[in-house]
Amino acid sequence: MNQFWIAVIAIIVAPIIGGLLAGIDRKITARLQGRWGPPIIQPFYDLFKLFGKSRIATSRMQLVWIYGYLVFMITCLVFLVLKLDILLLVFLLGFAGVCFVLGGFSCKSPYSHFGANRELLQMLSYEPVLLLTALGIYAQNGSFMISEIFNRPEPLLASLWPIFIALLVILTIKLRKSPFDISTSHHAHQELVKGIMTEYSGPYYALIQLTEWYEIVLLLGIIALFWANPLWVGILIALAAFVLELFIDNIAARMTAGWMVRFSWAIGLVLCILNIAYLYLMKGVS
Amino acid sequence: MMAVAVLLPLISGILVFLIRQYQIRGLIVVLTAIALIINSILFLKRGPFEYTPEGFNWGLAITVLDYVILLFYIYAGLSLRNWLVLIFALTQIVPLAYWEFGMGAHVELEPAFVVDHLAVVMTLIISIIGSLICVYAIRYMYDHEHHLHLEKSRQSRFLFWLVMFLGAMNGLVFANNLYWLYFFWEVTTLCCFQLIAHDLTKEAINNAARALWMNSLGGTAFVLAMIYLYVNHGGADALSVQNIIGGGISQAAALLPVALLCFTGFTKAAQLPFQSWLLGAMVAPTPVSALLHSSTMVKAGVYLVVRLAPAFSETYLGIMVALVGAFTFLGASGLAISQTTGKRVLAYSTIANLGLIIACAGINTPLAIAASILLIIFHAISKGLLFLCAGTIEHIIWSREIEDMEALAEKAPVTTFITAIGILSMFLPPFGMLLAKWMALEAAYVIPLAAFLFILASAATIVFWAKWLGRLLQVLPRLGRKLESLSFSYSVPLWLLVIGIFVIGIGVAPVYQKFVHFAVNNVVAAEKVFAEGWNILVPGVSAVTAAPAPAAGAYPVWPLFIVFAVALLLPFLFLALKPHELRPVYMCGEQVGDTDTDEWLTAADQKAKIQLGGYYFQNVLGEAALNPWVNTIAIALLLILFGVVLGVVLK
Repeated sequence: MNQFWIAVIAIIVAPIIGGLLAGIDRKITARLQGRWGPPIIQPFYDLFKLFGKSRIATSRMQLVWIYGYLVFMITCLVFLVLKLDILLLVFLLGFAGVCFVLGGFSCKSPYSHFGANRELLQMLSYEPVLLLTALGIYAQNGSFMISEIFNRPEPLLASLWPIFIALLVILTIKLRKSPFDISTSHHAHQELVKGIMTEYSGPYYALIQLTEWYEIVLLLGIIALFWANPLWVGILIALAAFVLELFIDNIAARMTAGWMVRFSWAIGLVLCILNIAYLYLMKGVS
Repeated sequence: MMAVAVLLPLISGILVFLIRQYQIRGLIVVLTAIALIINSILFLKRGPFEYTPEGFNWGLAITVLDYVILLFYIYAGLSLRNWLVLIFALTQIVPLAYWEFGMGAHVELEPAFVVDHLAVVMTLIISIIGSLICVYAIRYMYDHEHHLHLEKSRQSRFLFWLVMFLGAMNGLVFANNLYWLYFFWEVTTLCCFQLIAHDLTKEAINNAARALWMNSLGGTAFVLAMIYLYVNHGGADALSVQNIIGGGISQAAALLPVALLCFTGFTKAAQLPFQSWLLGAMVAPTPVSALLHSSTMVKAGVYLVVRLAPAFSETYLGIMVALVGAFTFLGASGLAISQTTGKRVLAYSTIANLGLIIACAGINTPLAIAASILLIIFHAISKGLLFLCAGTIEHIIWSREIEDMEALAEKAPVTTFITAIGILSMFLPPFGMLLAKWMALEAAYVIPLAAFLFILASAATIVFWAKWLGRLLQVLPRLGRKLESLSFSYSVPLWLLVIGIFVIGIGVAPVYQKFVHFAVNNVVAAEKVFAEGWNILVPGVSAVTAAPAPAAGAYPVWPLFIVFAVALLLPFLFLALKPHELRPVYMCGEQVGDTDTDEWLTAADQKAKIQLGGYYFQNVLGEAALNPWVNTIAIALLLILFGVVLGVVLK
């Protein structure tokens, strides 16, 4: 039952942290752009306001997928806090992404379709690196179980730093920040309108926001695993990574989708492979 | 039991061929299907046994039929003026004749058939899924011929080959005598040839000929392997499958024939660079594709490789087999992204999954073998269902193009729903393919390169499934919906397969514990059962420390149950919680009129319909762009494979 309560607490606390991070995001971005910016808890005001709006949609199918997106993301988070199999977590994260894409495909809107197709490309570019991260953790730990990471005295970062760098690139893609904000964009200068999110409004848009908050916490949690003992160091590293993403977001311009795939595969995969190959050579293949 | 499994399909096939009445013919097929299904369950109940048929000179009959088939190939080669068919028919019949008559080989073996758990798993797949497909074919061929406006019906002929196929497959998985196995192997090749050529268009015949010569190439390797074993390892006893995998012949000595047999398996399982015959097979009526892809033909190829796995455990041959399979997984997944036709996407996805199964056989740890057997099961169900869906869709919209399936959810909600389940079952929890993929990847760490190929391929598979599903489920607002009615012969197989997917997907751990685990033990000795209760656990590898090993990985089923329950509940909740309003999509004010969303204003205020489409990346991932690379690498891998084996043999 203990595990059950851990899961419940995580499900309740995660969006609060995620919302605060989103607030920090807006604040820092505003300061970087020479504005004052909204208060840090502004995202919560926005969320509650959105939930209060009337429910308007373009098709019911897309709403089903949006719930799927949320449910899978929460499941991933539960896998993380219960320290279960990281490989399965990555697979499930992929399905969360698929649900989001299918939501985008399920209405006859050109913007939404653009966004969905591009979101698929995003998945193609980050999925292998996430799976390789799991493999790297296996190569180091002999186990895919997250619980085993906590049993190690020395941090993963010491031996897996190339994979860590690859993961930072992936984080930018996953959070849809520039230069990889190709499927949707939070900046107001887009030919995409808002890409895959164009057709969501009111409470349904709020659900997407909520899912994204879960996602931020989940991804930062994975990054924190790289320094799991003591965990507070890992959390600091994760927060630093988050701030770094904000800076990149504000100094980079958006790139094309093709460039994104080439870049993430070239940089991410090469780093991961070198890292894993090195570990295997050091330990010998069992 | 054996007679029912192997001979009944032949007898029913002949009956179906002779009786030209739609109802009676259908009844025979249905009764045969029921008999085969019950029979396969009896096999499961009875468990392993050995059997040699007596009272009739079966060996002689098989020899004679073997030559009849090969002579037919020669005839086919000559009459089609296809020299490749002719050449590879000759490369089979000449060595075979020299071996039997020149060297006086006489292959009688006891037991002729060995039924073990692996064979039972296979026969369950063949008998249940294969039979359902035959039932589906009754009505499908009727519709098919009506659409083509044929004057003379060829349905009887079609069903003859289809039903007989099942018997040949059953014989193939039970055979212990390699020579008998070869016979059944050739029968499947023959059935496949006849079924692909069924429509007798120029394209169909050409593609059938290609399938024939590629499989004959594999058959040639089979003949060579048999002769090699017979000559070098003391006569007929060397041709016992149990001997080869049971250590009766030392591993190093058997390496070359085993490599040849694996090659035969590759050709039949359409591994790169032999993928083209299976894609060519897509011209055939859809039940053929369903049968070839799910329960027969290609499954024979992977069955042979999995069966032989003990003969190459811990050798470089095993590693090469793993790499060939893993590379096929990647290559075929990449090629699938660029396909615009539903059936071709399915075909490439099959090739990819077969590659995954073969790679698991090459990796050869208990976990990998477990993954491969689970993959065979799940893939058979899901692919069988998907092909039947593709056929049903084709008969609703008379097109195979994915883009034409746009908003199919409006035209045919039931079919779309079933198809969506089929597609989701290929990669989404709680369905089994995800578990099998997870196990495969957990197992793949032993060969890092294979693991890497797995990972890239797995990312690619998501793209084409999501894209297709997106096209299917795109829904237009405010259109009237009514459920289409499917005929009995369509809907029974479809719904039974859907139920099968759910039951086996959710109950995978018990299914594994009670049933698959023994099949794994037929291939590698797995002391530990991976399933605990409803969960699947992978024991850690701690030979070094001897301490109780931490789990290497766990596939807990309960979160999936929750996901599944919520996912099931939500659509229902959703129908209750209707949105206040359904509105047209946002078009930047460019749509014609206020509400109609189908038209918008383009340049010079011309009206145009909205047209949407997926990305197919023809330039980068198209067959023209990718095939030269993929085929070259695949051929190189095969050359290395044989180079490695010859290196060992010559040393």
